[in-house]
Amino acid sequence: MTSDQAALAVVEALEALGIPYMLVGSFSSNYYGIGRSTKDADFVAEIGAQSIVQVAERLGPQFRLDPQPSFEMVTMTLRYMIYVVDVPFKIELFRLSDDAHDQERFRRRRRVKLLADREVSIPTAEDVIVTKVRWASLARRSKDSDDARAVIAVQGDRIDWDYVNAWCDRLGCRTALDEIRQSIPPM
Amino acid sequence: MEPTKELIDALFRERVLRARRTPPEEKLLDGPRLFDLACRIMADGLRDEYPDADEQRIQELLAQRLELLRRLEESA
Repeated sequence: MTSDQAALAVVEALEALGIPYMLVGSFSSNYYGIGRSTKDADFVAEIGAQSIVQVAERLGPQFRLDPQPSFEMVTMTLRYMIYVVDVPFKIELFRLSDDAHDQERFRRRRRVKLLADREVSIPTAEDVIVTKVRWASLARRSKDSDDARAVIAVQGDRIDWDYVNAWCDRLGCRTALDEIRQSIPPM
Repeated sequence: MEPTKELIDALFRERVLRARRTPPEEKLLDGPRLFDLACRIMADGLRDEYPDADEQRIQELLAQRLELLRRLEESA
């Protein structure tokens, strides 16, 4: 199994079980921005102890669920890890949190074409920017600010800046957003 | 010699324009595909470095390298 097949298998499992979800992290920033390598697929889902077991059962023996959820320190959310047997690629399933922006980006998620006959749920470009800038500001991870910069540059004037600015003000990361915007050369 | 800001900006601009020309659904799966490619190249390098190692040992060494990269990334 390849890493992209593993990610697709999780999408199919969530869809088949009717579990509301969205594919986040570098998958969504690659969609709107510039592609880069990633060693895990991150999902946010309305998922609990019972439904995670159903997901694991549906995925079958090529996947191994760590039944003990962990607390992710950057996003402060509960996370289930699913390992792909024989492939160093991981699936991270984050439970939808009560955080106001987590709730809002989940509500605004959209369906996009994945392959010829498939669709997947992902956040909007604006919500990818807000999330990446927030994490860049909190965890000081350069890859998050690089991803935000790439999405802003690629999407250009299609971005709803009133929405992005309002959330970055509310989340206390407006300075980080402005610095990233200022670093983008004219296209 | 350090690259100039003009060169860095020009390279970034080129990557942005290429990304705009690429259908987004193709870019969605770029991440895991690039990762698999990187793993294959790293495994080839490990086979050169450890010619007597069997495939299981190569995969263990690859996992160790990836863990080292993860720690370096987190401490950066």
